[in-house]
Amino acid sequence: MLVIRDLMKTYSSGVQALKGISLEIQPGMFGLLGPNGAGKTTLMKILATLLEPDSGTAELDGLDLIAAKAETRKKLGYLPQDFGLYPTLTAAQMLDYFAKLKGVTDKKERRSLVDALLERVNLSAERNRRLGGFSGGMRQRVGIAQALIGNPELLIVDEPTAGLDPEERARLHNLLAESTRENTVVLLSTHIVSDVSNLCSNFAVIRRGEIVTATSPETALAGLEGRIWEATLPREQVDGLKASGQIISTQMAGGRTRVRMLSKNGKPAEPFVAVTATLEDHYFIVVNQV
Amino acid sequence: MAGINSVRIFLAIACNELLLNSKRVAPYVMFLLCGGNALLWWGWGPATGRGWATNSDFFIAGVLPPFSFMTLPLFTAVIMADPVIRDFRAGINPLIFSKPISRAQYLLGKFCGNYFTLVCGQSAFVLTLFVLQWVSKQGMIIQEAKFFPYLKHFLFFVVLSHLVLGAFYFTVGTLTRNAKIVYGLGVAFYPVYISYQIVFLKSLPSPWPTILDPLLMNRRNLHSTSVEVINRLVVTYDANEIINRALMILLTTICLAILYVRFTTTERSGTVEKFSVLNLSTAAERVYYPESSHATFVDQCDYKAARIFAVPEVVRVNKGIRAGVDKLIAALGVEFSLLRAERSLVVVMPLAIFFSVLEVGFYNIPTAVSHSAAYATNTAKLLLLFLIGIVVFYTGEAMHRDREVKIEPVIWSTPVPNSVLLLSKFLVTIVLTFSLMVVVGLIAIVIQLVRGHTPVDVSAYLMIYGVVLVPGIVCLAAVIVAANVLLRNKYLVYVGAVGTGAGLFYLYSAGYNHWLYNPLLYNLWSYQDLTSARILAYRLYYLILTAACLAVAHLFFERRST
Repeated sequence: MLVIRDLMKTYSSGVQALKGISLEIQPGMFGLLGPNGAGKTTLMKILATLLEPDSGTAELDGLDLIAAKAETRKKLGYLPQDFGLYPTLTAAQMLDYFAKLKGVTDKKERRSLVDALLERVNLSAERNRRLGGFSGGMRQRVGIAQALIGNPELLIVDEPTAGLDPEERARLHNLLAESTRENTVVLLSTHIVSDVSNLCSNFAVIRRGEIVTATSPETALAGLEGRIWEATLPREQVDGLKASGQIISTQMAGGRTRVRMLSKNGKPAEPFVAVTATLEDHYFIVVNQV
Repeated sequence: MAGINSVRIFLAIACNELLLNSKRVAPYVMFLLCGGNALLWWGWGPATGRGWATNSDFFIAGVLPPFSFMTLPLFTAVIMADPVIRDFRAGINPLIFSKPISRAQYLLGKFCGNYFTLVCGQSAFVLTLFVLQWVSKQGMIIQEAKFFPYLKHFLFFVVLSHLVLGAFYFTVGTLTRNAKIVYGLGVAFYPVYISYQIVFLKSLPSPWPTILDPLLMNRRNLHSTSVEVINRLVVTYDANEIINRALMILLTTICLAILYVRFTTTERSGTVEKFSVLNLSTAAERVYYPESSHATFVDQCDYKAARIFAVPEVVRVNKGIRAGVDKLIAALGVEFSLLRAERSLVVVMPLAIFFSVLEVGFYNIPTAVSHSAAYATNTAKLLLLFLIGIVVFYTGEAMHRDREVKIEPVIWSTPVPNSVLLLSKFLVTIVLTFSLMVVVGLIAIVIQLVRGHTPVDVSAYLMIYGVVLVPGIVCLAAVIVAANVLLRNKYLVYVGAVGTGAGLFYLYSAGYNHWLYNPLLYNLWSYQDLTSARILAYRLYYLILTAACLAVAHLFFERRST
C-alpha cells in the first residue's frame, strides 16, 4: 500500500504546488484527476524520487520513498508526462538499455524480456527501427514498455494519454489494464476523466495542491444519483441560471446551450429533465465547487 | 506595396535564421577558430620573419586566400547544409508553408540568413587582424592603422569565394534533405580541389588558372620582391580576377535557380505506421477490430476486469561492484553510439587528423633524437588543440544530452548509481580522444614509412602520447565534467573553458608557465626528459587532480528535476 502523509512542496518561484497531500492507495489502478497546474506532476515527481518535498512522508509497504531513493528506484516504474528517447537508437536497443540499467544482467533473459515487451506494445515489427521516426503514440508505448521492465511494485504514469488520438488512447488503456499485477500500485495521473472511469477502481481529485475528494467511481456516481438535470436553453436564459451557482457544465449545440445542473432540492423548473450522472459531472462539481 | 511586403517576408525569414544560428554552437566555434587562426598568422606567420608589415595591403590580401582554403569549406558545409532540413526535421514545415510565402522568399531568406551567419564567423579573422594593428611584438613591423583594405579584401577573397560553395552546399542539402551528404562533400572538397589544381589548372595557359580558380589561390607570387616594395604595395584586382569573381556570382545564381526549380514544399513519402486498427488489446488473440468499431469497442470494453498480461519474470541484480560495472559498460555503449551519431564528428575527426599530420606529411621535421620521436612530438603538439576542443565540447554535449532529449527523468528513476551516469559521460570522451590519438599515431607511422624516415620506433609514440597527451586530456575531461555538474549549463562551461584556456595560454606565452596550472605541459617538456622523475611527478599530480574533480562531480551531482 502507498501511504502519503502531509506532502508539501513550494517552488523557489513561490508557487505552492502541494499543500499537505494525504492519500492511502491500495494495490490496483488509482487515478489522480485534476486540471492543469493542480500539482499532479509535482506529486508524481516526488514519488518518482526526482523532486524533494518540503515536508511530509510517502511510504510504499513501509519503504520510505523520500529518504530511501536508491531502494525506491528498484521498485519503481515511471513514465513521465513529457519524456524523450534517444532518436538514434532502435526500440529494441532502447529497451535493452533500460533493462540493463534496471539490473537485468542475464543476456538471454533480457532479450526475451525485450521481445515480450515489444510484442505486448505491438512494436515487434518496428524493433529495429530508429526511435526518431516513431509517432507520438508509438513513443508512448515504448515509454510504457520501459516502465514495465522488472515488474515494478509502484508504477507511476503521468498523463499517458495527453495528445493521443482515441485509438492510441484505447491501446494505452488496454496496455495499462492488462499489464499490471495484483500487488502493484499504479498511479495514473490525468486530466481526462474517461481515463479514470475506464481504468481505475479508485481515484482522487487534486485542485490547487489539495486533495478535494478521494473515492471510487461507483461511490462518486452513487452520490449524484437523481441530482443531475439537463436542459437545452437559449443563451440568455443560461446567464441567469449561472448566477444560481448550480450549473455543472454547459455545451453549445445548434445555436442553443445544453446545460447540466446539480439540484439538491428536487427537480428544477421546466424544461430540465433527470439524466444519468457521469464521472465528469462529479469532477466538475468538486473542481468548480458547485 | 506587394514588393515591400515580399522584402519584409524575406527579411523575416533571414532574421529568423540568424536567431536560430545564434543558439547553435558551430558559429561560435567557427568565430573562435577564425580568430585564433588570425592570431597565428599575425604572430607566427611569414610576415615577422620576412619583414612584411602585418597590416600592409600585401599581407592582408596574401593571407586571405590560404585562410579561405584551410578550414572554411568545412564550416561552409556545416552552416549551409541543413537550414531547410531543420524545418522538416522539427516538423515546422507545414506551419511555414501554409503561410503566404513564395518558394523564392523562403529559399532566398534561408540562404541569405545562413550565409550572413557564415560571413560573421569568417569575419573573426579580419576583425582580429584589424584589432592586432594596435598590438606589437618584437621584430614586427606595423604601419599606420587602416580599415578599408581589411573589408575590401575580405569581401573579394573570402566572401565571394565561399558564395558559390555555400550555394552549392545549400542546394545539395535542400534537395537531398540529407546533411551527411553535404558534410561528406565538405570533407571531399580538399582532395577534389587539390586534384583540380594539380591535374587541371596547372596544365592551362595563363590567364585560365586565375579565371577558373574558385579560391583565387593562383595569384601572382611576389615573395621575392623587396620588403620595401611589398610594404608600399597597394593590391589591386586585375581583369582576370574580376572575371573570376563575376563567374562565381553567376555560378551561385545558377545553383540557386536550379534549387528554385527543383525544390518542393511537399512531404516526402516515409515509413508510416503500418497498423491502424485496434489490435493492441487483442494482440494475444489476434482478433482485429476495424477502425469504425472503435467507439463501440471503447464503450463496451471493461478495462478494469482485463486479463493480466505477465511481463516475464527476470532476475535483477542491483547490488555489488559487478552490477555497477555492468551498468557502466551498458551506459558507455549507449553513450558511444550516441556520440557516433553526432553529425559534427564527420567534420571534426577528418579535420583533426588532416591538420595533425599535415606537417609530417608535407614538410621536413627537425630530428633531434629519432624520426619517430620527431613525428610523435609534432603530431602531439598539433593534435593538442583538437583534443582540448573535443573534450570541452563533446563532454558538454554528453553531460546535457539526456536533459535536452528529455530522457533524464526516465533514466534517473532507474536504480542506476550516480557514478555510472557520470563516469559514462567522462569515459566516452576519453574513448573518443584515445581513438583519435591512435588513428593519428598510425597515420604518422605510415607517413614515416612512406617517406623512408625509418626505423619506426613505436615506443616513442607511446611515450609521448602516453605521458604528455593522455594524462592531460584525462584531467581536462574530469575538470569539464565537474564544471558541468556545478554550473548545470553547458554554454557557461564553454565560455568558461574558452576564457580560461585563452587566459592560461596568454600566461604561458608571457613566461608565467608553471606545471601547477599547466595540465597539458605546454612548453614544459622535451622527449629526453619524459621519463624523468620530475615529469612523472607532474603527471601524478594531475591524475590526483582528476580523481579530485571526479569526486567533486559525484558529490554535487543531483538527480534534481526541473
